[in-house]
Amino acid sequence: MPVTERDRLAAVGRAAGLRLASSDLDRLLPAWKRYIALVEELRAQVVPEPIHGDD
Amino acid sequence: MTESPTAMPMTAVARALRARALSPLELVDAYLARIDAAPELRAFITPPGAAARRQVQRAAERIARRETGALLGVPIAIKDLFATRGVRTTVGSKILRDWQPGADAAVVTRLRKAGAIVFGKTNLHEFAYGVSNANPWWGVARNPVDPRRSPGGSSGGSAIAVVAGMCAAALGSDTGGSIRIPAALCGCVGLKPTRGAVPLQGAFPLGWSLDHAGSLTRTVADASLLFQILSGRPAPSRVRTRGLRVGVVRGSITERIQPGVGARVEAAARGLRRAGLRVRDVTIPELDWTVATQLVTLRAEASAVHARWIRQRPRSYGTDVRVRLQLGALVSGVDYVVAQRARDRLRDALDRAFDAVDVLLLATTPITAPVIGERVVRWRAAEEPIDGALVRLTSPFNLSGLPALSVPCGEAGGLPVGVQVVGRWNDEPRVLAVGQVIEEFAQE
Repeated sequence: MPVTERDRLAAVGRAAGLRLASSDLDRLLPAWKRYIALVEELRAQVVPEPIHGDD
Repeated sequence: MTESPTAMPMTAVARALRARALSPLELVDAYLARIDAAPELRAFITPPGAAARRQVQRAAERIARRETGALLGVPIAIKDLFATRGVRTTVGSKILRDWQPGADAAVVTRLRKAGAIVFGKTNLHEFAYGVSNANPWWGVARNPVDPRRSPGGSSGGSAIAVVAGMCAAALGSDTGGSIRIPAALCGCVGLKPTRGAVPLQGAFPLGWSLDHAGSLTRTVADASLLFQILSGRPAPSRVRTRGLRVGVVRGSITERIQPGVGARVEAAARGLRRAGLRVRDVTIPELDWTVATQLVTLRAEASAVHARWIRQRPRSYGTDVRVRLQLGALVSGVDYVVAQRARDRLRDALDRAFDAVDVLLLATTPITAPVIGERVVRWRAAEEPIDGALVRLTSPFNLSGLPALSVPCGEAGGLPVGVQVVGRWNDEPRVLAVGQVIEEFAQE
């Protein structure tokens, strides 16, 4: 059975203890996609060093 | 006295009251008339009432006895997230609509100690979590320069009250730009001091590591005096601005900017050069990480503040704040750590920039006040959410904690433009001194 991004978001939301109505998911999904895109970009630029550096 | 007292800077009001050239009762009546004349601006959630009148009466008696106090009898409006003893403090929310704190916030205590009159509680974005100030419970705040437009937020009511002559000055808070953005969009001075310089005790939190308390005023001198009172620091010795090194921030973070706003930044740089400051360009590539770093940090921290309510009573929030808080509940610990690593590097990069300059100069916001309800700004190559655009140039200094001042610097298309002066940690004296130079030539 295919799992959509919306389904995945609903599952993550339930796991976080949120009560997400269908209208909440509609609003949250685009915000969540934007968030994921920004965070992936940040992760790519700021890779935590595996050992302590100078800072 | 020819100038209307409602247009006078706070420092001039304080002087006139001390000299008994102005009666505190007449002053308050003049402010109240301005508030009554513009209810559509929604500047206040709780306008000044009987308690303010009692304070005015006491102040009048103290002035008659020749008592002193830097702000004796001066009415200051308070953003409605600072606790005020016995006066409703809603934080712009439905959830706290009936909260009557038992004690004042530390900043309110300091104002009262200086003799100020606590003059009403101003409108804000719900729980200070947004920059439009379109509050679903207490009314959509409107820009006094053009009421079809947003005043910005979250301290929008405070900016309206200052610009529309409803008080002598106002308190605000700033987590991503919430003092500086409305100051820039409405046309007043906004100071976000160094993180921790002004106490936050008794302020309802939004993001624990990003929150700052500060002021919205008519002049830089007003901001300077309020900073002394709120921080408890002595008046700084006079700063010589000639020869100071100014870095104009360039690079992709400042490239997307309305031409009229950009022109005012260039005018500010030229004015500073004419005033004898040494102006050069600086590029800080790490500033490009600001939007994502601020987003992850604030989403997680705000959702921690609201952890219980957002799960138990999500319908008690307006739509935009509910979505932000729900999203924040999904931020992973790993993402938060990555954001804090980025934040450390951003701070280091700013520290390095300050090896070569004494202050930074950039626009406060890349756009002038948007029409209420507008969602995106269109640049040549892309669209940007207006909320994101408004905090793009202010939030680096919440992440770093550095002092930042927004000063009015003319207009673009008939709307106010603010430029931002940023300094080293605890270097408010130089930030304010450079701000004063800009203020002087911007008024010419």
